[in-house]
Amino acid sequence: MNAGPTQPRPANQHMRRNPPIAGEEEAIEKARNGDARAFETLYAMHKRRVYSLCLRMLGNVAEAEDLTQEAFLQLYRKIGTFRGDSAFSTWLHRLAVNVVLMHLRRKGLPQVSLEETLEPSQDDGPRKDIGARDLTLSGSIDRVTLERAIENLPPGYRLVFVLHDVEGYEHNEIAEMLDCSIGNSKSQLHKARMKLRDLLHSGQRKEQIA
Amino acid sequence: MSVLRAMEKTMTCSEFQESLPDLFEAHAEMAAQDHLRTCDNCAALVRDLEYIASQAKLLLPMHDPSPAVWDNIQQAIRSTPGGPPSSGHAQSGRK
Repeated sequence: MNAGPTQPRPANQHMRRNPPIAGEEEAIEKARNGDARAFETLYAMHKRRVYSLCLRMLGNVAEAEDLTQEAFLQLYRKIGTFRGDSAFSTWLHRLAVNVVLMHLRRKGLPQVSLEETLEPSQDDGPRKDIGARDLTLSGSIDRVTLERAIENLPPGYRLVFVLHDVEGYEHNEIAEMLDCSIGNSKSQLHKARMKLRDLLHSGQRKEQIA
Repeated sequence: MSVLRAMEKTMTCSEFQESLPDLFEAHAEMAAQDHLRTCDNCAALVRDLEYIASQAKLLLPMHDPSPAVWDNIQQAIRSTPGGPPSSGHAQSGRK
């Protein structure tokens, strides 16, 4: 896999999520020309977003911090290659995604999970036992609950869900990143949402019992 | 009525749920799906999946890395052959 960020076509959601940041353009230009303070400014602007991405993809604080560090070191080395074809944050985000995926490939875990989850299982099959009336999620899930449920997704599901539903990547982009088919990406996303639904309903039931 | 429409009407829950990834991807109008008019379970499922997807889009970056991350970045940059872009920096990036 190419560790460097490509210049992704700016999907609408990426643009929506990457509005221009005041002072960013100047900081980029200065950092490209070797200004350490400007690089620190870029770090301050983007550390939260990059770290949150790493944490959601990995579900592990120590690994997320290590890869945030790695992402910014790559930024330091590659900022001269940023051409401005897309928003800087989109470009940096893709760089961070690639850093995480490289790490996961080295570990070998999610890719295995991704393939394993292609096989239908009883857990992932159509569910008919959940009633429509008493267990509707709408309006009942707060951010913390959803974040916790995402953390509990199997790694392969979590990757696709975070990339598509949280970060706004398209299936063709995810397929390219994960080296899988577009159909596989769609299938994984659906299974991830189904699994999340189960997790969220389980949480609701526990709350009701308590 | 088209053949497709006729098939849709007689879909089982399992068949309908198998078609869901494509329906979502195509941004199909769920309210227009015949199966949902007669199946409360699948209607609830679709509502939940739409809700999950919509809530996920609202998740914002909420966590900051520890200050040690920036310390490590600085240290690594300093030890990079050729040195950092320039010397000196403030600590303003720290929490």
